[in-house]
Amino acid sequence: MSANERTLSAEQPLPTAWNQTRVGAFLSQPISWVFLTVGGIIGFLSLYPTVFLFYGSLVDAPLGVPGHFTLQNYVKAFHDSEVYPLLLNSFIFGFGASGLSVVFALALAWITIRTNAPFRRLFELTAIIPNILPPILVSISWVMLLNPSNGLINGLLVKFLGLEKGPFNIYSIPGLIFVEGLILTPLAFLIIAAALKSMDPSLEESAKTLGSGEFGVMSRITFPLIRPAILAAITLNFVRAVESFDTPAIIALPARIEVFTTKIWREALGSFPTNHNLAAAYGVGILIIALLFVYLYRRFTSQVESFSTVTGKGFRPHQIDLGGWKYLASLVAFLLLVLLVLLPLLVLLLVAILPYYHVPTWETWKHLTFDHFRYIWATPRVHKAFGNSMILALLGATICMVLASLASYITVRTKLAGRGLIEGLIFIPWAFPGTALALGLLWAYIDFPIPVYATIWIILIAYVTRFLPYGMRAVSSTIIQVHKELEEASIACGAGFMATFRRVLIPMMRPGVMAGWIILMTIFMREFSATLFLYSPGSEPLGPLLYFLYLDGMRGRVAAIGLVISVISVILIAIAQHYSRWETK
Amino acid sequence: MYMRKLTYFFSASLVSLLFLTSPAYSQNAKLIEAAKKEGKVAAYGSLESDNADAVFQVFKKKTGLDVDYWRASATKVMDRALSEYRAGKPLFDVIITNDSPMQIMWKEGIFAKYDSASAKDFPKDAIDPNLGPRYRNVIIGIAYNKSVISPAEAPKSLEDLVKPQYRGKLVMPDPTQHTTTTQWVASLEKLMGKEKADRYIRDLAAQKPVLVESLLPAAERVATGETPIAITYVKYVYMFGQKGAPMDYVRLGKMLGDGHYVTLGNKAPHPNAGKALIDFFLSQESMSIMAKTGEFVNRKGIYPPLPDADKIQFVEMYDLDTKQYADKKKEYQQIFLR
Repeated sequence: MSANERTLSAEQPLPTAWNQTRVGAFLSQPISWVFLTVGGIIGFLSLYPTVFLFYGSLVDAPLGVPGHFTLQNYVKAFHDSEVYPLLLNSFIFGFGASGLSVVFALALAWITIRTNAPFRRLFELTAIIPNILPPILVSISWVMLLNPSNGLINGLLVKFLGLEKGPFNIYSIPGLIFVEGLILTPLAFLIIAAALKSMDPSLEESAKTLGSGEFGVMSRITFPLIRPAILAAITLNFVRAVESFDTPAIIALPARIEVFTTKIWREALGSFPTNHNLAAAYGVGILIIALLFVYLYRRFTSQVESFSTVTGKGFRPHQIDLGGWKYLASLVAFLLLVLLVLLPLLVLLLVAILPYYHVPTWETWKHLTFDHFRYIWATPRVHKAFGNSMILALLGATICMVLASLASYITVRTKLAGRGLIEGLIFIPWAFPGTALALGLLWAYIDFPIPVYATIWIILIAYVTRFLPYGMRAVSSTIIQVHKELEEASIACGAGFMATFRRVLIPMMRPGVMAGWIILMTIFMREFSATLFLYSPGSEPLGPLLYFLYLDGMRGRVAAIGLVISVISVILIAIAQHYSRWETK
Repeated sequence: MYMRKLTYFFSASLVSLLFLTSPAYSQNAKLIEAAKKEGKVAAYGSLESDNADAVFQVFKKKTGLDVDYWRASATKVMDRALSEYRAGKPLFDVIITNDSPMQIMWKEGIFAKYDSASAKDFPKDAIDPNLGPRYRNVIIGIAYNKSVISPAEAPKSLEDLVKPQYRGKLVMPDPTQHTTTTQWVASLEKLMGKEKADRYIRDLAAQKPVLVESLLPAAERVATGETPIAITYVKYVYMFGQKGAPMDYVRLGKMLGDGHYVTLGNKAPHPNAGKALIDFFLSQESMSIMAKTGEFVNRKGIYPPLPDADKIQFVEMYDLDTKQYADKKKEYQQIFLR
């Protein structure tokens, strides 16, 4: 077989010797084996726990208890006039928060990746920090800053501007959107930044040569080329906002704003005893919404060739010289990072060094304490949790990215039948609310033939199951930009699929792979909702430890651990970014 | 003569005491020996980790046995225990949580009957025929921030909370979401009588209290001063007070609360270790340790270090079934979220 006959795509002509049966032809291609293996793993991870949830939504008894087939759970969940206004609230909240996150992320990513703004490296590194902090801590920090009664920012404005009352009220729809938007920004930033890193700026330069101004280049060239990444960020963040419960619980509940998840909590997950069947039926509803968005995303990005900007022609992207405007760009990035990182971290630091949180006064200085940090230092349980989380974060993010890279390649690059199915499968477990999926995972693995239940490995399985879409979105938005001619050239030179994948595609997709790895690593350092039922005290990672400390009212310890996690994660991110920079290639 | 009589009396008492306690002691030693062979105890519970650790550390010193403690909310403890049991893979020996989930788990048949020798020291009315002694009462009352509201201006009764001067100053968990608060509102009639309680609930809702997720964030808002008065656990006044928060509680006399129990799983992987833990957990020593952490334990003469703790009269809340919870939550939705 000549090198030219080796192909990566099932649509291309097959060698005559193998062209006897369709199955034989299919199996003769290395990519088919990759497809079967990756599809098999993803199919199992996704369907195994969700089958339990689907089954649960169709019966009238908890799993393990004999019950009857029924559609009553769906009737109860969706034949309720209350649901639809709440869905509308959730849509407003979801679109508002994901839209805001993408606007912030676009501005930050463009400034830090494509311009010569001073301190851009530092800004790029710090933009990811909010992803490290548990969302609940970020929400609490903003309540402490912007609550109308004694929020720090409101208090300062009242004092220095002589106002009658604080101008901000966090307990409102704009407050809810603002906080969730900030929480979601790092994810959008990582995806969009990866796309900008992979983009060939010669297109922008050509536009400039032809007389386009900076704004024209941005709106007609840059923006359309990174559209898949923007859509990926909006899709992910919209679904994440719609299924989130933490921020609505802290901000919407006191404001008496109802969203869909607060209803799910009242009727099913927070009811006593938990109505597993109804929770599963609600979960299926959110899943359908999520899959609809995945479908829309795929339609928007179906013309993949039009996004390809990384071609066989050598390119060396360089920064846009903003001239004197570069200082303004830095100022904008700095202000965004004040909102995203500095203010929440300062509040956390305050919570970590105060015996209990209160609005600081001159008296406060007398009561500062390092007890919460001493607790970290002196408690073997915390050390063990750090060790477990480091293993889970590094291993889990790596496994996820290997699977996500292969899955992205299959869904974006090949015409294999069933490739869309892989994308759908990946999204299924992610679309369920975390606590509902936790039940599915518990039911699925409690009696699994390989005894993984209550070990660290079941947590790894749960992480990969739930968070694979993040890796998938990050990497597929960059793979879309890599032109096919590069891999075709590799094949023409005699390389097989794996060699081409490893030596051509992975390096070209590196920004996306690293972005995905960073997103996942930072989430795995503190995640708990999907794994709460699965760990045993010996395999406890940081997420559940933070959860029970929070449950026990130990805010100081939670904040101190959160800060230490941030420092460790920033070091890991700095190392990862060092290896993902296009300048160093 | 008098001294000799006294010496005789004390010697006799000591001998009888040794005689009386030796069988129990040796039985305990046998149990601990068997427990040691099992290696450790696995407990699932909703008791706060620091309070549980304070007891488990002393237990380890005495027996050499480690306690693997999985802490979660009561509902999650029940979800996990029942799921493991139904799948035939229970990994827990002991469950430590409150009355309602305990009753459901008991009805599911997941507990073994274990009459701990330590149970006899609890008041008779605090012993449930199925679950054993109610080792602590978690009491709900009114807490306030002394820096924002002076003790003189603070409410003096539950009825005071509905007065105009406290409008906008009260925080409480959402009774349509938080199960213990649903139970608390439903049980108010135990303190006031049905007619008065019904009216009171409507008046309370009309005050538009700030609604939060659970009893802890309510107390936290009082500690930070964001909202000065809360319906919350009285023990938080001690807990946050220890850290310096200017909190106090309203001396209501009678207060509603929930009972907590400790039980042994009937398929416990380490049954002897589980029994040994329950014996120690219910002992005088353990109860004293727990009281020092702010808990209201059910032993005569042992109180948490909170002023006037001994004067609080505990009234156990209604134990609602699934339908009653759902109905009450729906009813309170009409009243509180209008």
